Amino acid sequence: MASNSAKAKSTRSWLGTAGFTVLALAWIAPIIIVLYDSFKKKTFINAEPFALPNAQTFVGLENYSNAVDKYGFIEAVGWTVFITVGSVALILLCTSMLAWYLTRVNNKVTKLLYLLCVFSMVVPFQMVMFTLSMTADRLGLNTPWGIMIIYLGFGAGLATFMFCGFVKSIPVEIEEAAMIDGCSPLRTFFSVVLPIMKPTMISTGILEIMWVWNDFLLPYLTLDTNQYKTISIVIQYMKGSYGRVDMGAVMAALIMAVIPVVIFYLCCQKHIIKGVAAGAVKG
Amino acid sequence: MAEVQLKHIEKIYPNAAGEKKRFGKKKQAAKKPSNLKVTDEGVVAVEDFNLDIADGEFIVLVGPSGCGKSTTLRMVAGLEEISRGDLLIDGERVNDVAPKDRDIAMVFQNYALYPHMSVRENLEFPLKLRKMDKAEIDRRVEDAAEILGITEYLDRKPKALSGGQRQRVAIGRAIVREPKVLLMDEPLSNLDAKLRNQMRAEIIKLRQRIHTTFVYVTHDQTEAMTLGDRIVVMKDGEVQQVGTPVEVFDHPANIFVAGFIGVPQMNFYDAQLNKKGDQYVVEVQGVEVVPSADKQAALKANNVEPQAITLGVRPEHVTIVTDENTPALHGNVEVTELMGSEVHIHVNDEGADTIIVSHNDGAEASAAMDKKPGDTVAFTFEGNVVHLFDEAGKNLEA
Repeated sequence: MASNSAKAKSTRSWLGTAGFTVLALAWIAPIIIVLYDSFKKKTFINAEPFALPNAQTFVGLENYSNAVDKYGFIEAVGWTVFITVGSVALILLCTSMLAWYLTRVNNKVTKLLYLLCVFSMVVPFQMVMFTLSMTADRLGLNTPWGIMIIYLGFGAGLATFMFCGFVKSIPVEIEEAAMIDGCSPLRTFFSVVLPIMKPTMISTGILEIMWVWNDFLLPYLTLDTNQYKTISIVIQYMKGSYGRVDMGAVMAALIMAVIPVVIFYLCCQKHIIKGVAAGAVKG
Repeated sequence: MAEVQLKHIEKIYPNAAGEKKRFGKKKQAAKKPSNLKVTDEGVVAVEDFNLDIADGEFIVLVGPSGCGKSTTLRMVAGLEEISRGDLLIDGERVNDVAPKDRDIAMVFQNYALYPHMSVRENLEFPLKLRKMDKAEIDRRVEDAAEILGITEYLDRKPKALSGGQRQRVAIGRAIVREPKVLLMDEPLSNLDAKLRNQMRAEIIKLRQRIHTTFVYVTHDQTEAMTLGDRIVVMKDGEVQQVGTPVEVFDHPANIFVAGFIGVPQMNFYDAQLNKKGDQYVVEVQGVEVVPSADKQAALKANNVEPQAITLGVRPEHVTIVTDENTPALHGNVEVTELMGSEVHIHVNDEGADTIIVSHNDGAEASAAMDKKPGDTVAFTFEGNVVHLFDEAGKNLEA
């Protein structure tokens, strides 16, 4: 009886593993296809997108050098890094301070502000994108440093929501102890509250980095694309006139665009899990 | 060390805007916690608190939850605004002085250690903020660590320490600064019973080694009795009595203090105070008890009239009567508890509960231990151990 039960359990486990393996492969397949397509001659990518490269179709790193030389990919990486780092740093600094204030100062104004932050998460970007791009243009926010302010506005909702949840779990006595020990409010924040927020800071930072790095619509609509292009805009520009697309360069650019985020994610994976689980159990 | 004076200190939490209009006074009264007074200004958490704390004195604020003891301490710390009254430290009014400029230190119930810093960094933090030189910081940290026996944990993070060790670090962080006043807000409440006893002894030793003024908050009357030079008993935001542990125990100002201080709690009986000639006599459940000469004198001095009273007797002063001819109160045994060196007998007499504490040796103890639930027991007490309270609960001897 016990043996039958163990056998059934083992079969179920094997079926589960097989099922999830198929699912995982289905998810990763497009990335694998893009990866090997990036080494194929561009004419063969459209004709046989799923075929593996062979002696006839393999072009080595030609697509990569094309993407870098012809389309200004390196410059786009520079602007993307600049915008991503700047925006995320601004979001983390401002929203962590805001969340601390909203949580500790309990009045009608702070409650309203918190509700507004939460509400901003449910407003789809497409709803505001045209008025936003016009406003950004008029205010001169169509530069990489100006767009950081727009990202701050859009990223504040989720970040404030996550930080508020965490700050609530920090005993207020720690801050009171800091006050008695001789800290000003600013010093209390930077010396005591901010280091305690580190796990949430990292997980929120990762989410925001992945969003800003991969974002296409917002920079496309607001940035002055004659001067500044992010990676996603450059990839769009690889589509030439009359529907002509340099698929080889597109594939190479996609792989190059995704590599930093994947490396970053793998390095910070444990922090993401820690951040998501933070506060779930008593420490 | 410093003198601390609290003069007519009050703390009123204003009603939330609109609350008064929406709910009206009746609803507000229903919403308030415990029996705190509610005025037009708001809920009165601490009312007319007056206390002069001498240089180096150990004061314990004690009372049940919600009595305002922690609020009072937080007002001294500067963490709560003082609604009315004056707070003076060394003669200087500090109502509007920021906590960091009051030269006080505080130990919290939940330790409030900085979790991202090591024990050493926790101890150094307040000193670094005062821009003290490195050699002095090291000396003070080493000294404090040695006093508290935490030298070997200096490089650990707080999460790697036990509750008792964390509380030592919290005390260490407070004493490194050598503050004028050391405030402690229920520092032992998070510890288990054994550790609490150990730490209580540690605090007594600490007090002998460092010279500062202590203000200690607890709801545990044992801590209050063992630690304090003087005890302030509070209830519903009001001070009930201020006195040495012996004064508060032997001469409680009112029925609340009598019931709150002492374990097990004092026994209370409805009684009648009569006068026979020149002498006061208390009649309780048909038994006459004559108060001792000093109590007679106090009652006379206060010109006390015969009246219905509440009679209080501590459980350790109740004795079991075996002689049937001796006038005694009677009741049925409900529970017998062997507490090691003592036996506690819970007796019910027509709804009135009496606890009798008997030492676990000698003939009296064996008589006590023989009692089974349902047995009738006769007990009495001497006239020198009774406490007499009027209908309002005030001690008639006070």
